[in-house]
Amino acid sequence: MNAIETHDLTRYYDALCAVYHLSLTVNNEIFGLLGPNGSGKTTTVLMLTTLLTPSAGSASVCGYDVARDGEKVRRQLSYVPQDMAVDIKMTGRENVLFFAHLYGVTDPKGRTDEALAVMELTDRAGDLVKNYSGGMRRRLELAQALVHEPRVLFLDEPTIGLDVAARKKIWEHIRELRKNGMTIFVTTHYMDEADQFCDRVGIISNGKIMALDTPAALKSQLMKDVITARFSGTFVAPAIEGIRLIACNDGEVSFTAENGREALPLVAQALNRPGMTVHSLSMREPTLDDVFLHAVGNQEEPHNFDEHRFQTMLRRSK
Amino acid sequence: MSGIWYYMERDMIKWVRGKIAVVALLVMPAAWLIFVGLALPVTFTGNYLDFITPGILVMTMLASSLQGGALLMFDKILGFLNKFLALPTPRESILFGKILFITIRGVIQSTVILIVATLIGATILSPAQYGMIYLILILFGILLSGLATTLALYVGDHDSYAAVNTMISMPLFFTSSALMPYSVMPPWLRAIATVNPLSFAIDAIRSVESGIVPILQVGILAVLCIVILAICMQVFRRMTV
Repeated sequence: MNAIETHDLTRYYDALCAVYHLSLTVNNEIFGLLGPNGSGKTTTVLMLTTLLTPSAGSASVCGYDVARDGEKVRRQLSYVPQDMAVDIKMTGRENVLFFAHLYGVTDPKGRTDEALAVMELTDRAGDLVKNYSGGMRRRLELAQALVHEPRVLFLDEPTIGLDVAARKKIWEHIRELRKNGMTIFVTTHYMDEADQFCDRVGIISNGKIMALDTPAALKSQLMKDVITARFSGTFVAPAIEGIRLIACNDGEVSFTAENGREALPLVAQALNRPGMTVHSLSMREPTLDDVFLHAVGNQEEPHNFDEHRFQTMLRRSK
Repeated sequence: MSGIWYYMERDMIKWVRGKIAVVALLVMPAAWLIFVGLALPVTFTGNYLDFITPGILVMTMLASSLQGGALLMFDKILGFLNKFLALPTPRESILFGKILFITIRGVIQSTVILIVATLIGATILSPAQYGMIYLILILFGILLSGLATTLALYVGDHDSYAAVNTMISMPLFFTSSALMPYSVMPPWLRAIATVNPLSFAIDAIRSVESGIVPILQVGILAVLCIVILAICMQVFRRMTV
């Protein structure tokens, strides 16, 4: 039985298709769902956690169908949404105990202390959450999620807005949980984190999975080296054998090549044409960023920034 | 079932810790009672304090419920609701926990009013009469808090809800039988007051004070309560899935 399984999972918001025929299987691993804003990451998580009904297709968590067996699905999982929601007028312990009671665990007090200890919050458990730092609040949310020992953990942008040290700590905890047999489904914007900590990643764009594999395999598919050139003038894509263009925007263009050292002069030559000046050339190994840009294309935000729409959106989300 | 209790407990802890909110909620109705009950230059009845206390009690329940209606909306805005909805606890207990908390809070305020009213000269009633007054207030509180919570969730943003809140509460109070008996009202006001739902609860409490057991009114309130709760549950289900 797979921890998470989806078949042609689809969701429409009126005419807009947020997730389109998504098929996935996730087991005891850290699975990262990566994608630009509005690509359908959160919608996918909401469907898997039974907070949104799929328009078509099916999904199951630990063998239970998300549409039919909502309550059984919710017994298997924990969900930590993006917007850090902890009660600041309550102590850390009270926050966790509240969830322990709601999950109906046996020995709620004991489990609460255990979960707080796992997240290294025991010393501050009696303090009001008002006095917690961002990283501690996030860890407190993880403690709330862990108090009933879920089999599947859903984390929506778990490290957003945290400093480097706090982010590293969160990921170390997540790794520890995976070691103990938990399945962890993460959405994130941070490619370096996904590269470093996820066992497998799926890159989603416009509701469709564009790439799905281990970070290492995805990077090796992009060949060996990445050559980046900064230029000014009009860019004309050169045709050089064995060199592939992966992305071009704002005076910066990247290629991949099997052997970067040999390709470098070829690229320099090809770019050196009238109407175009090359300022610098550099070479490095590919990162998940390159995989992401290659898979998603250079689409940036779906629309141009529109002040009026942005304001409306802010007001709505209040 | 136990979920309802824990959701209520959470709101209770948060309310009690916001000390200013507690004081404000207790001072406001007491002030009303003292200023309107004792200081108003006209008196319509013999012991005006006895007459006005039911009105203040019901008004307090109304204010507390309308104010409490925003709680679930804020849980939604701040992301708590999504976390709660992903729990295996039956989802309706979120709604019922709110209703329970708002009603308990209203009852606490009402108790303060009853104590203050007695201290400044209202007639002391029998335990059975107090019991009946509480029953009416609780039914009325459940009814209003269910309505307010669902309405706020439906309206969705705080500014609009605050506007709706003000629009409802003041006119409703002044067109009820809270401040004056029907006999001294101008005919147009009497017509409005008799169909005002607040008058319904106020008149029921006045009957209790005068020694009548208002079985019919309590019965109607109870039935209304069940109907409204059923509707609220449906709306809540539709809004959350």
